[in-house]
Amino acid sequence: MSEAAMTVEGTYFDGYRPIGLPIQLSLLDEEMTLTGAGMVKTYHTSRLSVTPRIGCADRFVTFPDGGQVQCADHPSLDLLASDSPTEGSVAWLEERIGVAVCCVALIAVMLLCAYFFGLPAAAGWAATKVSIKTEQSLGKEAFAWLDNERWFQPTELDEKRKSRIKTVFSALVSGLKMEPYYRLEFRHSKRMGANAVALPGGIIVITDEMVSLAGPEDEIAAVLAHEIGHIELRHAMKQVMQSSAVAVIAGVVTNDASSFTVAVAGLPALLAQAEYSREHETEADDFAFKLLRQHHISPAAFASLMERLSKDHVDEEKYTSFLSTHPVTAERVKRARQASEQFRKH
Amino acid sequence: MNWLCPACGCDNANDSLRCTCGYVIMPNRQMIPHDATETIVGAEPPIGTAPMNENDVNNSAVAAPPELKLEFIGSAREYFRIWAVNLCLTLLTFGIFSAWAKVRKKRYFYSRTILDGTPFQYLGQPLPILKGRIIGATLFAAYYISSHFITSLLPYVLALGAVLAPWVIIRSAAFKARYSAFRNMTFRFEGDYWHTLKVVSAWGLVPAIVIGMIFKWWKITWIEGALFAIASLLFPWWISRFKSFIVGHTAFGGKNGRLSTTGGQFFNIYFCAGVFFALIGIATGFLLSIFLPSKNFAHFVFLFSLPAYAGYVLAYAYVQAHTGNLVWNETTLGPLRFRSTLSGLTLAKYYLTNAMAIIVSIGLLTPWAVMRTMKYRADNMRVLVAGELTAFHGSDMTSVSAAGAELGEFFDMDISL
Repeated sequence: MSEAAMTVEGTYFDGYRPIGLPIQLSLLDEEMTLTGAGMVKTYHTSRLSVTPRIGCADRFVTFPDGGQVQCADHPSLDLLASDSPTEGSVAWLEERIGVAVCCVALIAVMLLCAYFFGLPAAAGWAATKVSIKTEQSLGKEAFAWLDNERWFQPTELDEKRKSRIKTVFSALVSGLKMEPYYRLEFRHSKRMGANAVALPGGIIVITDEMVSLAGPEDEIAAVLAHEIGHIELRHAMKQVMQSSAVAVIAGVVTNDASSFTVAVAGLPALLAQAEYSREHETEADDFAFKLLRQHHISPAAFASLMERLSKDHVDEEKYTSFLSTHPVTAERVKRARQASEQFRKH
Repeated sequence: MNWLCPACGCDNANDSLRCTCGYVIMPNRQMIPHDATETIVGAEPPIGTAPMNENDVNNSAVAAPPELKLEFIGSAREYFRIWAVNLCLTLLTFGIFSAWAKVRKKRYFYSRTILDGTPFQYLGQPLPILKGRIIGATLFAAYYISSHFITSLLPYVLALGAVLAPWVIIRSAAFKARYSAFRNMTFRFEGDYWHTLKVVSAWGLVPAIVIGMIFKWWKITWIEGALFAIASLLFPWWISRFKSFIVGHTAFGGKNGRLSTTGGQFFNIYFCAGVFFALIGIATGFLLSIFLPSKNFAHFVFLFSLPAYAGYVLAYAYVQAHTGNLVWNETTLGPLRFRSTLSGLTLAKYYLTNAMAIIVSIGLLTPWAVMRTMKYRADNMRVLVAGELTAFHGSDMTSVSAAGAELGEFFDMDISL
């Protein structure tokens, strides 16, 4: 096998001292001969191994006695057994700029597909696999946590107002898939301001500030219908799954960047999650409009409440929270108005 | 006239002596790889072998080179290909390939870091790392679920974490050392569980404070605040002890490392960074209070996060650079001494330009950012030899499982220097 012939200069390391000796490696007919460092040794190639190729870096040939020779990469070295056989094909791919360009294109396609189709679909599917019992216990934990951490204080509403809202609420949820699991809670919250929250497992919390801002019962029904939409569509579980998946993927993709730049890693995950949560809000809005129509309430109530919220938002800091993670108000109002047009026609 | 690199075939201009792939051509000779010079690579001539030249022996015995040249010769073009292929395969295989990706990248970083003419070697194997990653991912998922959703379980999980932490630290350090080699000799880390536990938990002080805070042993808020303040003040002494522990138990060629820092030295660094960051915060707050009352300004509030971010990056880079310098400059390993001359300002410049380049290029310049930062770090490190390299003696190696190391990676435990 004359094509296997090669002679390369290398450096010999015996494994006992960090001292290198110049040496010559020559390969002929499956026999590797080491010449130099005061010795001439010949081994059959089956007894030798070589480190995998990486870039144009030097490679190390290991001998049965534990010694190693560092030498420039040479095609004939691939005749020896690799120290890590599974890396051979990866090295082959890494050498080609065309492959790298294709990889970049493929990465872009994969990320976009995952973002627009894969993740939402997978999260939706996974959310339905979580038992309602598990979801309820998660909701209870979260509610207790919010109470403990002083996000909420006891409500200051009078019983009459509360029972009126409860009547509206039970009318809205009657006949829905999740009906047996719903629970409406009232809380006062300085930190959250005018807000309503849907927790996993059917707990809906409405703040005193929201009740007093909303005024007419129809507007409260609109807020509740929106939160009911989150529960019926199992957004809490979906959100959990999506944000975990996004964090994992963003972690993988920005793995390299994160250790050499500060705060680049979090950015894509943050943007993606904001987009998903806005999508959920739009879905919940659509659900709410339908539910309101069924109960002969015009979605216009939703529009007027949103407008009031955004007006307060400019004047006062405390109403920011309901709006920040939600779609742009003007757009939501427009959609609500469209829905109310349809409502009037029917 | 140009010359062709014998290894990668790249065409190189005559005025540069080094190819992008790392080959160095001698000015008076043709196409000689950087490692295959005729002189003996290493500080001393071999013992028991016939030297090539009597003068070489005498010269090196009298004037052993006081400094070993350290250089990082990774090229962005080469690393881009490795990065793209490995990221693509990792995504295609739903993360399974990440073990291979890790090995390939480490292999590249190591083989492009050249000390005294010899590259470092990464010996980790993908399959054990994959096994370790699966164990690590499972435990991390358990931690994530309990900490985010079943909060009542969290204290027990944290208590378990406190018990496991020393084991993870030992395994991580041992894995890293065992699979890093230089000149056919691997590093080694030996630490026992109880000793590590004592160092990490500072005689139980750290877990007592953490677990106490979670279980709300003390109901009064100011006690919690005071304890937190005390723990923060003691942190420099803790980190000094911890780093000394890691360095002291890491060995190469039978010689253990030695780190002689004091907590006060770390305290100075953290204190300067803290004062600087506080000043930036106060200045930002001051500007905000001037501009905020005007209503039109409300939409531009985010602009104030920019100086705060810049201040944060500067403080972070300062701490990175100066703790790095401190630890390396106080470290000895057998006859080796180290001189690290990182600058906080330069490092911050690297971080900021990296971030901008990566964002503008939607990530495509990541390999470039990685390479230039590694090069900067290597350029600011000098390795000095006070004595003979023959002081290092190799010995037999035992294998180390990757589970602990991978677990440490999931929890972002940084035990590097």
